[in-house]
Amino acid sequence: MTTNTRIQRVAILLCSATLIFSCKKDTEDPVTPTNPPVNEEELITTVRITFNTLSDAEYKYFVFTDLDGDGGNAPVITADTLSADSIYNMNIEVLNESVSPIDEITQEIIAEGVDHQFFYQVTGANLLLAYGDADANGLPIGQSGSCIAAGPSSGSLKVTLRHQLDKTGSGVSSGDITNAGGDTDVEVTFPAVIQ
Amino acid sequence: MAKDLFLEHHGSELRDLEVIRKRPDENVGLSRTELDKVALESSTGRTLAEALSNIPGVNMLSSGPTINKPVIHGLYGNRILTLNQGIRQEDQQWGTEHAPNLDPFSSDRITVVKGAASVQYGADAMGGVIITEPVELPREGGERGEVRGVGLWNGRGVGGNGSLQGTVTAIRGLGWRVQGGGRYIGDAQAPAYVLSNTGMRESGGSAALGWHRFRGGVDVFYSYFARELGILRASHIGNLTDLRNAIESGDPWYQAPFTYTIEAPRQSVRHHLLKVESSYRITDRNELVLTYGYQADDRQEFDIRRGGRSERPAIDLWLVTHTGDAVFKHFIGKHVHGKVGANGVLQRNSNLPGTGIRPLIPDFQKSSGGVFVLEHMPLGDRLEFEAGARLEVSRLEIGKYDNNDAYITPEHAFVNHAFSVGVNRTFADSAHLRANVSSAYRPPQVSELYSEGLHHGSAAIEIGDPSLASERSLKATIDLNGRALKSKLEWGATVYFDRIANYIYLRPQGYQLTIRGAFPEFAYVATDALLWGLDLSGEFAVGPHWALRSRWSFVRGRDRKLDEWLFQMPSDRGVNSLVWRSQKVGGWRAIEASAISTLVFEQTRFPVGLDFTTPPPGYQLLGFSFSASKPLGKNELRIGIQGSNLLNMTYRDYLDRFRYFADARGSDVSVMVRYSWGAPPAH
Repeated sequence: MTTNTRIQRVAILLCSATLIFSCKKDTEDPVTPTNPPVNEEELITTVRITFNTLSDAEYKYFVFTDLDGDGGNAPVITADTLSADSIYNMNIEVLNESVSPIDEITQEIIAEGVDHQFFYQVTGANLLLAYGDADANGLPIGQSGSCIAAGPSSGSLKVTLRHQLDKTGSGVSSGDITNAGGDTDVEVTFPAVIQ
Repeated sequence: MAKDLFLEHHGSELRDLEVIRKRPDENVGLSRTELDKVALESSTGRTLAEALSNIPGVNMLSSGPTINKPVIHGLYGNRILTLNQGIRQEDQQWGTEHAPNLDPFSSDRITVVKGAASVQYGADAMGGVIITEPVELPREGGERGEVRGVGLWNGRGVGGNGSLQGTVTAIRGLGWRVQGGGRYIGDAQAPAYVLSNTGMRESGGSAALGWHRFRGGVDVFYSYFARELGILRASHIGNLTDLRNAIESGDPWYQAPFTYTIEAPRQSVRHHLLKVESSYRITDRNELVLTYGYQADDRQEFDIRRGGRSERPAIDLWLVTHTGDAVFKHFIGKHVHGKVGANGVLQRNSNLPGTGIRPLIPDFQKSSGGVFVLEHMPLGDRLEFEAGARLEVSRLEIGKYDNNDAYITPEHAFVNHAFSVGVNRTFADSAHLRANVSSAYRPPQVSELYSEGLHHGSAAIEIGDPSLASERSLKATIDLNGRALKSKLEWGATVYFDRIANYIYLRPQGYQLTIRGAFPEFAYVATDALLWGLDLSGEFAVGPHWALRSRWSFVRGRDRKLDEWLFQMPSDRGVNSLVWRSQKVGGWRAIEASAISTLVFEQTRFPVGLDFTTPPPGYQLLGFSFSASKPLGKNELRIGIQGSNLLNMTYRDYLDRFRYFADARGSDVSVMVRYSWGAPPAH
């Protein structure tokens, strides 16, 4: 019986010792990076709208660039002056210019056209935009279209790209964002000047 | 030799004495509330936080119907500590959309300590401690077990679990228990619409093996818990305009018919816990307890992404934690007794590659070591004092890429201490007073130090501050309870004052223009906070079967530097019930039926300008509960039926972060059936 008790005692002490030693500090250190820095795959740095007259005689650009992504340096916004009484073809490109080669996100958006739509909201300027493309369901994506610059005026053009929106919502297919829902992937505002 | 035999034969008796002695020992002067198996079962048990919110002083912070975090005396997340089977639960509690990863059914008893308890438990135990107590393993007797089935009407959910325990006759003192279960729930339903993508699935199991003799014993416990949950589709927003639109429109923009399918945005978490504990009685009155815990927490969050990336996690974190405790329980002289101990924690957080998104929180390694002493001095049967102190050193090593993709490895060291003094006094008329003053601390979280970027769930850019220091709290609690009016009235009251230096919170800093539009920028800043409040509970017996029960919580929080209210403090809340109970009706035992009214007031004390909208109005919900048992020889059948929000009220709760997007859950009924066999545990 005494031997038994002693064996029990030793067994318990051994278990305890294992516990104490297993608490010793791990020597691994996070000083060496285990992984390379992450490339933001879905980062959008640039939105560029190209306006070209039907004769291709004149090219105008609206560009929003934020190369370092959210935070950091402030975005740069530039917009050419549009010519009064002109009709333009218009298309929009969405890019990630922080990587080489430049990531053409526009292609991803067109490929997932049923889940995406661009909206154009004009304030102040005499600018009229119309969708000129369609997704697999015959609803607009808004990546390309046409634009009429009427009399001289100035204001702003707000471009919004919605993802996973309700394209059948009331007014949505004619460009009214009110009932679109979804998540905003792009929302940029350009100054719009027509001379 | 004769003595040895004597002690072993009376092992169970001594154990009971130990249990009785152990109870009042811990946290003298702090208010403790226990939820036993019956209370846990009758709380519908959708989530741990929901079950605990029946306790006065405990509220719930939600992100929609699936994600709930317990709030104790106004504090939540890393300001409260969860002890799962005696091990500090480590599962990325820094996010308000991160519910504790543990199975509320894995334990038969959950204790909530409402007070600062850092002396014994270490960092984070500022607001209180939630303890899911280990189920005591049988040491003698045959097999027993139970199976339980649950049906949930709202969400059309089903669930079940079962457990089996027994002893190995060949080896005296060797007991075992296995337990497992799961739940499968679809979209929740608000009165006016389906809350799309709020389904949930859970599965978990545990196995325990323990060998106990009088001198000591060894316990091994392992548990696994997995949860997959959907996040309300309409809560996924792109920028501040989307959030404004959601608030103005009132209804969620995305509504679809009911489904069990869970799509992005969603979370998938798995949590493993392994515990090895050994105790050894060095002399009859001194005992050494050594505990080692291993936890691995795997958290994946999936976002709505372009180019088929929604199936790739946007956040993929692997958190491994080792904890080690050594506690020496001892007597000094005849009456003074207590514990001295040491704890160590080593933790490593890794961002797993492949997300294609810059990590929201960096990789880090955290190590800490602490020593404590906690002594009790009883003076007669009616008075007991407790005093304790702790010293803890912790180190945080970060590894991250800065904005220029240079790898940086900042380090932080924190030295913290805590103390506690408490008194328990029992008065002649069986009124009981507990008073306690204790300090607690919390080193800043990695998210508070190093967040930098967009937090999708809250449409805000969050900026950490690496210079933040530890939060320090000093909390005084007075808890009184007793009986009055010839024992017809049972009453309890807890008053507390909690001063927190370096209280860390997010404060708006203006707006940032990004390619997705404008986002509000929030920075982690520290202030001095004062929280105070009152918990009340009472039960008045109207007759032999009828009783009126009432529970109230009042919390106030002030920012002392800016002289304004604190954000996200629970509003006043009362739960009143009319209870009918009977020990025996026909073949049924322990029958209890109640009609319940939950009254939540509008939060009128909030800081101006910190929130996107004003708090929602107050509301009142009606519910009912019924439970009864039927003994079947050595076996027992127990049934429970619960109803909540029976009038299908449309409401939103201030502590629900998804109140910007949708109404809360509508009416709900749940049914529980449990069948247990084998001898019930001896009481």
